[in-house]
Amino acid sequence: MTVSSVATLAAVLSVAPALPGLANRTKSFLTGRRGAPVLQLYSDLAKLARKGAVYSGTTTSVFRVAPVLAVVSTLLAACLLPLDGREPVAGFTGDIVLFAALLALGRFAVVLAALDTGSSFEGMGASREVTFAAFAEPGLFLCLLVLVLATGRLSLGGMLAAPLANAWPTAAPSLVMVGISLFVLMLAETSRVPVDDPATHLELTMIHEVMVLDHSGPDLALILYGGALKLALFGSLVVGVLVPHSALDAPAGGAVLVVGLLGVAAGVGVVESVMARLRLDRVPQFLITASALAGFAAILLLG
Amino acid sequence: MAFFFAGLALILAGGFVAVLARRAPPVADHLFVVLVGLGSVVGAVPALRVLAGGGVVSVSVAVALPGGPWVFGLDPLSAFFVLVFLGVGAASAMYGVAYLGAERGHRPVALAHLLVAMLIVSLALVAAAQAAVAFLVAWEVMAIVAYLLVVFESERAEARRAGLIYLVATHTGTLALFVLFATWGVRASDLTFASLAAVAPALPYGGAAVLVLGLVGFGVKAGLVPLHFWLPGAHAASPSHVSALMSGLVIKTGIYGLLRLVSLLGAPPAWWGWAVLALGLASGVLGVLWALAQHDLKRLLAYHSVENIGIILLGLGMGALGGAYHVPVVAVLGYTGAVLHVMNHAVFKSLLFLGAGSVARATGTRQIDRLGGLSRLMPVTWLTFLVASAAIVGLPPLNGFVSEWVVFQALLRAGVAQGPLRLAVFGAAGLGLIGALALACFAKVDGVVFLGRAREAEAAAAREVGAGMLVPMIALALACVLIGVAPVLVCGPALRAGGLVAGVGGISGLAGVAETVVAVRWIAGSAVALIAALGLGLLLRAAILRRRPVAVDETWGCGYAVPNVRMQYTASSFAAPLVEAYAPLAGVHVERSATSYATHARDPVLELALLRSWGRLRTLAGRLRPIQRGRLHVYLLYVVATVIALLVYLAAAGPAR
Repeated sequence: MTVSSVATLAAVLSVAPALPGLANRTKSFLTGRRGAPVLQLYSDLAKLARKGAVYSGTTTSVFRVAPVLAVVSTLLAACLLPLDGREPVAGFTGDIVLFAALLALGRFAVVLAALDTGSSFEGMGASREVTFAAFAEPGLFLCLLVLVLATGRLSLGGMLAAPLANAWPTAAPSLVMVGISLFVLMLAETSRVPVDDPATHLELTMIHEVMVLDHSGPDLALILYGGALKLALFGSLVVGVLVPHSALDAPAGGAVLVVGLLGVAAGVGVVESVMARLRLDRVPQFLITASALAGFAAILLLG
Repeated sequence: MAFFFAGLALILAGGFVAVLARRAPPVADHLFVVLVGLGSVVGAVPALRVLAGGGVVSVSVAVALPGGPWVFGLDPLSAFFVLVFLGVGAASAMYGVAYLGAERGHRPVALAHLLVAMLIVSLALVAAAQAAVAFLVAWEVMAIVAYLLVVFESERAEARRAGLIYLVATHTGTLALFVLFATWGVRASDLTFASLAAVAPALPYGGAAVLVLGLVGFGVKAGLVPLHFWLPGAHAASPSHVSALMSGLVIKTGIYGLLRLVSLLGAPPAWWGWAVLALGLASGVLGVLWALAQHDLKRLLAYHSVENIGIILLGLGMGALGGAYHVPVVAVLGYTGAVLHVMNHAVFKSLLFLGAGSVARATGTRQIDRLGGLSRLMPVTWLTFLVASAAIVGLPPLNGFVSEWVVFQALLRAGVAQGPLRLAVFGAAGLGLIGALALACFAKVDGVVFLGRAREAEAAAAREVGAGMLVPMIALALACVLIGVAPVLVCGPALRAGGLVAGVGGISGLAGVAETVVAVRWIAGSAVALIAALGLGLLLRAAILRRRPVAVDETWGCGYAVPNVRMQYTASSFAAPLVEAYAPLAGVHVERSATSYATHARDPVLELALLRSWGRLRTLAGRLRPIQRGRLHVYLLYVVATVIALLVYLAAAGPAR
């Protein structure tokens, strides 16, 4: 843990809510609309945090604990990433498994909360969420193990810092493929087009949104913030792989990351403007393609 | 060793007391619980001493049977398994007392207690035996006692059929073990493990025959795909505490057998390691896929045992590969992960089966789609079940995460090694897939059984079970949390056992192992951080909401005015997307109409392969039936015809030399 790692984490945590806004703004710009302000989510979070809550009589404490657990687990996962390019807040050999498991914990909590309401719509969303996660998870592990193969390190702090920059000259094709694959997985994990459409208003076509229909007030704020944080988390992974910034000084490294995150968010907006959403039964193919890309990257490194 | 046998004697005495004092049930029950509990503690003392670093202990009994003396001993590997068997065994046995209490009138309950005591004792003896004959005797006692417990509810056709299939399967496995020890033993002076290990280097083809026979014989018991076919039926049909013993402990003897085989043989060749790794992946993925399609709570849990045996085999396979390619770190971590997952699976799977038993007792059904909303009616059962399901999915801060993490380490460290071993790193993606599918499956179970609203009247009328059933479940749940928060407690002993199997002395000197020990402390720290952060977050949330209006209303039905409980998502519909995506592998029969959707799960190996080929064999054999008329003169005719044929042959072959 260094001052710079904590400061960068704080910067990412505060920038996170701007990312969905930037993605949406890019989309509205490219489709010729004015769109909501980039900082809209901050206002939404502030508004929701001031409100009370309405709970369904069917729900139990699972429903109340889940939003907190979702944010907490994502937050701890963020602590494992070397955001300033050099050192994470905390990390150890083999923490990549903990990273994936923390994200899974957050998912488990949100899915159970959805099932806690007894709503058929939320059950449907939960079912889709776990289905697509089952296709995305091997992809995430393939991406991480490409980084293991490229750098010889087993910790996120090790593989995304200096060893990655050293690996670039020899493993560039694999690392580019992993960057693309991680970007695709990010779209799935954060419920963006072409996997899910955050702007849809029809419950039957939703995945993530329909799972959180019953959350309100501060709980909904936590869910929304958790989603933004997840985008920042995966965005940091993409930036960390594609733009290694371990050689830079502390403020410069953090700045590269934040600029990179904004770039990733803009990229999400571009994807949303040029692509339609996939039919639900095509999503597994899309995710398997991303996993296959990472798999090829790994094979390249094994040769 | 005196303490060990004294403990086993106490457990056995508990069983006999239960039978002798059956006319006074409260006395018998209390004595049984006390004696089994006391026996487990006493019996565990020498195992704990060995794991804490004490020397290996053993005792040799001369018997008038071929095969040399019967040796029983505790090395770190045996001690680790004995500890698991006694601890989880005692918890399940205590649960059984309360669970079977309701059936005292119409079933031989006292006899079941005696059988459970015998099962625990035979399990401990299997782990402690250091001679082939003693091992096989304990193995057979265990198999037969388990059979008698599986058919405890023998008036149900399901139980009788499952018992028969189990009996056939287990004896097929035992037959392979007889051949194994016989082919090995012909070279040795006697059949003690020490003598067998001494002649291991002389086995032809590096012990290939022994390794394959071991994989079959022990594989049937462990329930790896495709030898798992007996497992779901037997585990589902038994009384729930017996399911817990079967799934948590009995199948682990297969894993113990494989580990013991490796420790006696020395590092197996690479092909065996790759085979075990492939079988582990197949068991893991197929086990959880088949589990997803189940509607019966206990069958579903049984298929998860197949999945977890797969995870254990991934560790075991990595251990073998690490040995074959001379990467001791991978070998030690692989075996350690396997051993650790044996322990953790024993704890959380027995807890899940006990929870399923409580649900079945409270509602009278095991059909997931008839349940719902039990978390309000059975809060303690729900909480323990939730802990166990998060543990089996491998989520921090619970024990399942710790052992899966160690297996992951073995797989990932293969990636930073040299040579063909690097290929094994893809197993990590497979393990990731298994974990994600398990998450889907347990989200389904927890959500449909415990959350939402009751789908049928029997679920709405459920009541929490009594303290006699809750206390063992709470104890096991606490064990899940304790191992998750303080993995340091179990990792040391597991490393000892893993190091023994890998044949690596002085494991703490290995750089990777020391690094792993440090990392385990970090895991403990992250578990504490997670719990603390969650607690802090919940306090903050409560503080914020205290000053806000909080209302209770109906679930948002997207504008629909008259929702009812039957509109909730069911287990079938929840699992449908995954089951359909994996349709060719899942073995599910789907019935779909405009108004209904139903899936029927079949076991592809048992029902589509084994029973069909058995049917074909019977048809073919039926063709031979006309020659068996049961009439004496026809048989005399056969005898005469055979003699004439032989005479003709002799005449044609010419005079002998």
